[in-house]
Amino acid sequence: MGFIRRSWTPGEADEWTKEDWIAVVLSAASYILLMVGTVLSFLLNIWGFIILALGIASTYLMHWIIDPKLKTVSEEYEKKQHQYLENLEHKVRWEEIHG
Amino acid sequence: MVEFQFIDWFWVIMFLIITVGIGVAFYRLGKRSQSDFFLAGRGLPWWLPASSVYATHTATDTPIWVTGVVYKYGVAGLWYTFFAAWCAISAFVSTRIFRRSLTYTQAEWNTFRFHGLGAEMLRGWISGWQVFMNMFILGWVGIAMGKVCQYLFGWDLWIGLVVFSSLCAIYVLAAGYWGVIMADFQQGIVAFLMILVVSVWGITAAGGPSTIAAKLTSMGEAWRMNPFAFTGWFDGDFPVAWFITMMVIAIIGGFGMGTSIDWYVEAQRIQSAKSVRDASYSIWWGTALVLTRNSVWAAAILGFYVMFPNIASQSDYEMGWFRLGFEYLPVGLIGFFFAAIIAIHVSTIASHLNLGAMYFTRDLYLHYFKPKASEKELVWVARIATLILLLGSFFYGLMMEDITSWLIFALWLMAAGIWLPNILQVVWWRFNAWGYLSSWIANLGISWLVVWILPHFNILPVLPDYQQFWLLMLLGALVFLPVTLLTKHEPMEHLVKYYVQARPIGWWGPVKREAQRLGLLAHVEMKNEGGK
Repeated sequence: MGFIRRSWTPGEADEWTKEDWIAVVLSAASYILLMVGTVLSFLLNIWGFIILALGIASTYLMHWIIDPKLKTVSEEYEKKQHQYLENLEHKVRWEEIHG
Repeated sequence: MVEFQFIDWFWVIMFLIITVGIGVAFYRLGKRSQSDFFLAGRGLPWWLPASSVYATHTATDTPIWVTGVVYKYGVAGLWYTFFAAWCAISAFVSTRIFRRSLTYTQAEWNTFRFHGLGAEMLRGWISGWQVFMNMFILGWVGIAMGKVCQYLFGWDLWIGLVVFSSLCAIYVLAAGYWGVIMADFQQGIVAFLMILVVSVWGITAAGGPSTIAAKLTSMGEAWRMNPFAFTGWFDGDFPVAWFITMMVIAIIGGFGMGTSIDWYVEAQRIQSAKSVRDASYSIWWGTALVLTRNSVWAAAILGFYVMFPNIASQSDYEMGWFRLGFEYLPVGLIGFFFAAIIAIHVSTIASHLNLGAMYFTRDLYLHYFKPKASEKELVWVARIATLILLLGSFFYGLMMEDITSWLIFALWLMAAGIWLPNILQVVWWRFNAWGYLSSWIANLGISWLVVWILPHFNILPVLPDYQQFWLLMLLGALVFLPVTLLTKHEPMEHLVKYYVQARPIGWWGPVKREAQRLGLLAHVEMKNEGGK
């Protein structure tokens, strides 16, 4: 699926891209499909099983699209986290932040 | 009233020992620092905060409420519960931004995003409001447990309120968020399993899915199985216009922070996750469980409806799902069901005890009263705050004979007039502390006017809630937009720091360019169009 990017550099992953937008659309669709599909499946309605299957497929696709980007964002951010946490503590205690 | 046998009490007591024991077992970890007491050291894999999201949002009153809307509106009533879907967008947008801020609370976030006196005023206001709201919610959920115990055993209301909240407080006082999260995981499993068992049992008691469908059809009420059975575009008490409003509030609200009252609970889970990725998945999967759980309940409540179709009193039919459990489960399982209800109850109580204590300790005590406080002192302050919240919740719970209308109003205060500002603070660089503060103040006045005062004097008709939402949003914008544009934006240096760390979405062009000019951002040539 060349349209979807699955390999990211840290700088690229920090940008908001079409993969994020596709993920949030699929995410909302997944919630609707899972909720409606589950209740109708419990009532043994054939449409319920179809909608639930679509919800599961949509969830899988969302994960497939967004996970590589989230991994890259997380790995890069964690390298800087310690310094950011120190700054946060200085700020809450009204101390000067250097650097 | 329900009669318990020895085996039923055995399950209940075993469960209480295990759940309190698991929480207390993390005493040594919880007392190490404020980071441990409130965020479990920020090192949790996604499935632990996800289970806590699910467990916290499964409270004693939740099945009562879901039963009420599904009994009244059929499966379409599930859309009332769909406000939780703000996490659909939030999991990948505002959750990512908030996790990168590393701020403990939403109040603290205000001094990260904004600057100066306005930011401090926002922090003070939101932390005070959250301490109050958590105590209020604790009283509300606590008295619901009092009512369940009164229904089951004929106990006085205060017994169910005081006993179970106090037992829960043991492990929250001892281990803080470590205790909350570990107990939530176990409680979430027990609650989910028992919700499945009771619901399937109830569906079977009603004759099974095919019989439920056949009976509804013969009653001329097959519409109850239609998730899109609305009463018209604008007519009736369940119109399409309401549905569209709910979709906008729930889904678009995910771009913001605080657009749902649940955000404040989720914010703590987001910061306790070990990475940005774990934070996103914890919110997404916790909410997915909440929504599918509601669906399981809805199917069982349709079964209850075909067995008892003509209950006129709302307070009677709202107990439908509990009745399925207590009237149809066999001896032994009834005790296990009650243990699951305790799990449902204490998971919510524990979360709000710890959350309210965090706002008090981190935002009020440490930031404004004693900035030099040691970690040990902060843990003790947190414990005292937890205890005060517990005692306050008893007071609120016992005075809440009829709090529903007040609570809905309080939630409006949190949601309607500040819904748009809650999004703008994330997506628009020009939105400043004064604009945000003015939206809160305006919302306090405008919501009173629109909901209570103007209808009382017949100046404005009593509007349906979805119309109130749009009106409050519009009137609020007439205040906060001019205030924002007539006051200065936050200092560019502050905005650049914020932008580089949090990488917000939306209209941040001038800030991004300044960050690039200062060499704080790598210039990235994106291969696809979305990142330009």
